[in-house]
Amino acid sequence: MGGYGIIMAVRRLTVKNIISRVRQTFPQASETYLINLINDALLEAGMYRTKIEYAKTTTVADQMWYDLSDVGSDIDINKVFRVDFMDSAGDYIKVPRLIDNEILKMDVT
Amino acid sequence: MASNHSHPEADIAWFIVGDKLALVTTKGTDSSSVHSKSGDWKGIDEAVTNGILIHYYAEPNALSTTANTRLTAYPDLDNSMHASLIEYVKAKLYIDKAGTSNDPNVASTAMNMSMVHEKKWQDSMVKFGSRRRDKIGGTRVVKTFDLR
Repeated sequence: MGGYGIIMAVRRLTVKNIISRVRQTFPQASETYLINLINDALLEAGMYRTKIEYAKTTTVADQMWYDLSDVGSDIDINKVFRVDFMDSAGDYIKVPRLIDNEILKMDVT
Repeated sequence: MASNHSHPEADIAWFIVGDKLALVTTKGTDSSSVHSKSGDWKGIDEAVTNGILIHYYAEPNALSTTANTRLTAYPDLDNSMHASLIEYVKAKLYIDKAGTSNDPNVASTAMNMSMVHEKKWQDSMVKFGSRRRDKIGGTRVVKTFDLR
């Protein structure tokens, strides 16, 4: 008797699987072009919040702004939804998002 | 090294402008200066290694077109959405076919096929994209009820 183990989805498609299925209809399509199209699809899929990640960064004393740019960075951020700050015990504590960001002092450093 | 903020939730906040994250604090002194007055928002006041933990929605990693492992790689998406990638690729290829065909019947059919695949792709992403990767959907019981 099999018991009640967790049934896991094991079906994944490799790039080769995807290309072979596409070539059922478009046998002449080049491999590079198809991979580029898959990359376009992945880029579009990123707009629908399909992947959640975390990253840490170091603060600098009296520096207000931190770069989230995709250029020259290892991380590609679409939307930040939560920020935690390390407290005096070394734990990360959720800090609130400031909705009204028209604050009095605005350091550009 | 930990920070000197014992309650960051009370005196630190963040906001985004464009591609920049601003981290501000109300911590300060009893000075009346806007540069240091307690209660006024200003830049975070100390250097903390790995002091910020950012949670974000990310872009999936792109596939390589040249690496030796390019064909055996898995797309950087939940496996439940892998099949949807085929719909996207076919939609674009049918558009190509419609644009390059000299036969208006072939072009028209290709456009229709493109729309069919485009709709399947949109349905999978827009309607079900977030639901499919939701690992906590449905009823769960982590502890049996106490019926005494």
